Amino acid sequence: MITSGYPDSMRELIALVEATRPERLKTSPPRMSAKEREEILREWHPDYKAGTKRPLSIGPSKGELVPHEVADLLEAYPLISPEEVDLSQIDYDVDVLIIGGGGAGTVAALWAYYEGIKPERILIATKLRWGDSNSIMAQGGIQAADRPEDSPAIHYLDIMGGGHYTNKPELVRALVTDGPMIIKWHESLGVMYDKNPDGSFVEKHGGGTSRMRMHSAKDYTGMEIMRALRDEARNIGIPVVEFAPAVELLMDDRGQVAGAILFNLETSQYLVVRAKATVLATGGFGRLHIQGFPTTNHYGATADGLVLAYRVGAKLRDMDAVQYHPTGVAYPEALVGQLVTEKVRGMGAMPVNRHGEAFVYPLEPRDVESAAFIRECYGRGNGVETPTGMRGVWLDSPMIEELHGPGTIKRELAAMWRMFNRFGIDMAKEPILVFPTLHYQNGGVEIDEHGWTGVPGLFAGGEVEGGVHGKNRLMGNSLLDYNVFGRRAGISAARHAKVAKLGKLSLEHIVAYSKMLAEAGINNDRKAPLLLPEYRGERALARSLKIRI
Amino acid sequence: MADREAVEQEERTSLAEELGVRIYIMGKEYRVPAGLTIMKAMEYAGYKFIRGAGCRAGFCGACGTVYRKEGEYKLRFAVACQKLVEDGMFLVQLPFAPAPRVSYDLEKLRPTENVLLKLYPELARCVACNTCTKACPQEIPVMDYIQAALRGDIKRVAELSFDCIQCGLCSMRCPADIKHYHVAQLARRLYGRYLAPKAEHLAQRVAEIEAGRFDEELDRLTRMGKEELSKLYEARQIEEGVGV
Amino acid sequence: MRIAYYPGCSLKALAANFDRSARAAMGALGVELVELERWNCCGTVSSLTTDDLMRQLAPVRNLIRAQEAGERRLVTACAMCYNTLKRAALRVEAHPEELAKINAFLDEEPDYRGGVRVLHLLELLRDEVGFEAVAKRVVRPLEGLRVAPYYGCLLLRPRGVGLDDPENPSILEELVRALGAEPVDSPLKGQCCGSYHTVAHKEVVARRAHKILSEAASRGAEALISSCPLCSFNLDNRQRLIRELDGSFAPLPVLYFTELMALAFGLEEALSPEGHYVDPRPFLEERQLLRR
Repeated sequence: MITSGYPDSMRELIALVEATRPERLKTSPPRMSAKEREEILREWHPDYKAGTKRPLSIGPSKGELVPHEVADLLEAYPLISPEEVDLSQIDYDVDVLIIGGGGAGTVAALWAYYEGIKPERILIATKLRWGDSNSIMAQGGIQAADRPEDSPAIHYLDIMGGGHYTNKPELVRALVTDGPMIIKWHESLGVMYDKNPDGSFVEKHGGGTSRMRMHSAKDYTGMEIMRALRDEARNIGIPVVEFAPAVELLMDDRGQVAGAILFNLETSQYLVVRAKATVLATGGFGRLHIQGFPTTNHYGATADGLVLAYRVGAKLRDMDAVQYHPTGVAYPEALVGQLVTEKVRGMGAMPVNRHGEAFVYPLEPRDVESAAFIRECYGRGNGVETPTGMRGVWLDSPMIEELHGPGTIKRELAAMWRMFNRFGIDMAKEPILVFPTLHYQNGGVEIDEHGWTGVPGLFAGGEVEGGVHGKNRLMGNSLLDYNVFGRRAGISAARHAKVAKLGKLSLEHIVAYSKMLAEAGINNDRKAPLLLPEYRGERALARSLKIRI
Repeated sequence: MADREAVEQEERTSLAEELGVRIYIMGKEYRVPAGLTIMKAMEYAGYKFIRGAGCRAGFCGACGTVYRKEGEYKLRFAVACQKLVEDGMFLVQLPFAPAPRVSYDLEKLRPTENVLLKLYPELARCVACNTCTKACPQEIPVMDYIQAALRGDIKRVAELSFDCIQCGLCSMRCPADIKHYHVAQLARRLYGRYLAPKAEHLAQRVAEIEAGRFDEELDRLTRMGKEELSKLYEARQIEEGVGV
Repeated sequence: MRIAYYPGCSLKALAANFDRSARAAMGALGVELVELERWNCCGTVSSLTTDDLMRQLAPVRNLIRAQEAGERRLVTACAMCYNTLKRAALRVEAHPEELAKINAFLDEEPDYRGGVRVLHLLELLRDEVGFEAVAKRVVRPLEGLRVAPYYGCLLLRPRGVGLDDPENPSILEELVRALGAEPVDSPLKGQCCGSYHTVAHKEVVARRAHKILSEAASRGAEALISSCPLCSFNLDNRQRLIRELDGSFAPLPVLYFTELMALAFGLEEALSPEGHYVDPRPFLEERQLLRR
């Protein structure tokens, strides 16, 4: 087994990439027409594959198509029953409960505080550590139309086109209008964006953008923003309880969401949180491995928020559309599925097939680009096969050094260079092998432009909510999304908390939900939320006993 | 009977080949296949992570790992999700670093040459042993940025420490009890807030938005149907620039 | 002449005026101070424990940096850095077994092979540039200015490390004369300034500084010169507290010797109010040694 660098079989193919590089530096395949884009999506995008989805049989979005993996969780029974928990013993009594300690949750907490809620009246509950999230992993950048050549209206158009006009217009409008203000806020928090000597931002293109508006911080953009936000929330003293995911939302007898039941993963005890307003910021579903795809997502991305929200009556939307990032690692095996930032293509690296040929415009919207990679590998047989039988296409990263000078990759794509270098591949000299990987939950809990879910007392921001991106998100709009809607949800929750009156706490809604499941004939061996994916080895699992210790 | 034994023998042999790597998780031996990261190898062995796994891609610092290899006296350091297992690795994870940070009000601080030392006076205890650098799974020159902090060079601290994933291994190894990654976080924010030049075009755009300059155009766009929008979309000018 | 230069942390922060004036004054004498590309804190105060090998890592690492750059000599301006680096350099040459241990610990570095000579700027002036050359470079003789040299501990002690006779040093006096000023002798010129006690025992240090300053002033000194940022801090900044303790105390400007040189060389821009508690400029203007 090769554990460092490329095997000879792949090295031979790299020679073909090198041979065509000088020519490819001069010319690129053209962008697809609207018709071509539609066709390739229909034929090759995983969303269009038959037998991968089913209509929901119960609940507020009954009848809507969702992937089987999502339906299995929504059509599942609660982990707890009302008899197990004593709602008269309140462990945390707060104004605003935020479920999720990633970007959206932290932004919501900060803006709830700015809106006048005292730090000690806020609580962030998170399943892993504070900050362990997709937010911290985002590499390429964040969009905001702040250059004179650009405008929120142009940003709006790019988003609607990229999302195939399925987006919720008022959410897109909020996103593009708040964008520059969010970057300014970050600037005041000390986020170290890449800047020119005069203070202007270094801004680049992303897939589907018509203006260069991608702000970045090397290829650690998400980490840099998350670090600063978390640091600021720590300065303010916002309480956080880690390793304590919400396993159920609480309601009151007036039909309002009134907090949550948390589960301490380390001691197995439950905690009752009463809250006048609750913000869902639980992120997405990458760890469900839709259609068996590997994922770029963090360990806790298991769609818990969708399950919780659905049980209290929140609607879902656009859950039939899954984002596969075109460039997940396809080699080495140990990194399969991990993200290769779109910034690599943004800086000039071109996708190339096994013959060394360019076959697609490098910066189509993500769904189109992914479909083109899949067609190249499985439709045309032009993919590169790895020793473990995985297929991928080359991403000709050395072009970046040709275009911008030697040393550019190590400087501006430090995370990528480091990741491959750890496995004996120098992406400044050798191309890297990529294949689409499950990246983002395009849809989610429906919200309005204030981050309200339509259920009294429940707000949502970030990847858990849907409508902003329609059926396909553009690069750089998820970091913006969690900031814009994390903020709006935080502000709305704070305002709601100031006037809300809570009634008697109740878990009746999960009793009702279980009844609905039973009436639909759904077997009760399926439980949700999932909390953590199962990655233990089969050999170990085959011998596991359920002995309580 | 003999046949069955032979088959079993063969199975055992191929299993031993397949599970060719011996690792010791907190001292306990397990056999795992080659080519797995430390994280995946531990899962293969039957461990289900609660702590010690986060982003699984080298960005969050949740899986800081200390290991030693058989026959070596030196400790080595890695993030479990970015390091392949090697035969004879003794492994332990350090999923939490009890390194206290100092709270501050960024608006009241100024990027003076003694601000880092004032908030983290233990910086002055650095004896330049470089143990922090050796512990860094990101291969950041940690000691160099601590030295820059000592002499008040905030910009250099910010730049050298930029790739820090805040796993805390540096601070757990430091004989002087310095909180390297907290010092670095403070320096980066001071740099971003006070020393980096401000973007004028951004301030201008925010003012334009607040003045409602784009409202009318956005009103029109939000009311448009798919057909009209797609016409505009397909006809839009693409700015020349990197990647296009 | 180009020479490898080790500025030290203080000269990059609170004593930036020392660094600025040193570069300017030495530059005027044709000596270019070439800062090491990478360096760390010198290690500061040598510890009083016998088992202090760990404390030698920092200075030896700096000597390795000089060795790496192909330098045989390393010059400092700060008396503290000078003392720490020189003591370490001499110690590891005298004790190869200690050097072997340090080298084994610093396994990420090339071995230190010995042979880097640590110099103070004053030595360079005396032994290589020569005070005659210094005098020749003077464009504005500091005639009639009475300056008290202050040595403190680190330029002089211990014997063998110090750069002059610890009982009766004269190197600063010679410099003062070369600049056209008049040295004022004081029996307390080699007394300790109170050093790091300034952090925890401000008053102890203030009283000590009071004595040192008053003694010099009573002998007619109008200013005091030093070669150490910590001494300067204690003698200069603690004058605020001295005034609280003794209302009759008259402020006395404290300068780095390089600032005095810059002044005599006509490099006024190297003499700034920053780095001084008692701003020396009004007094120098009054004496018409500095343009208003």
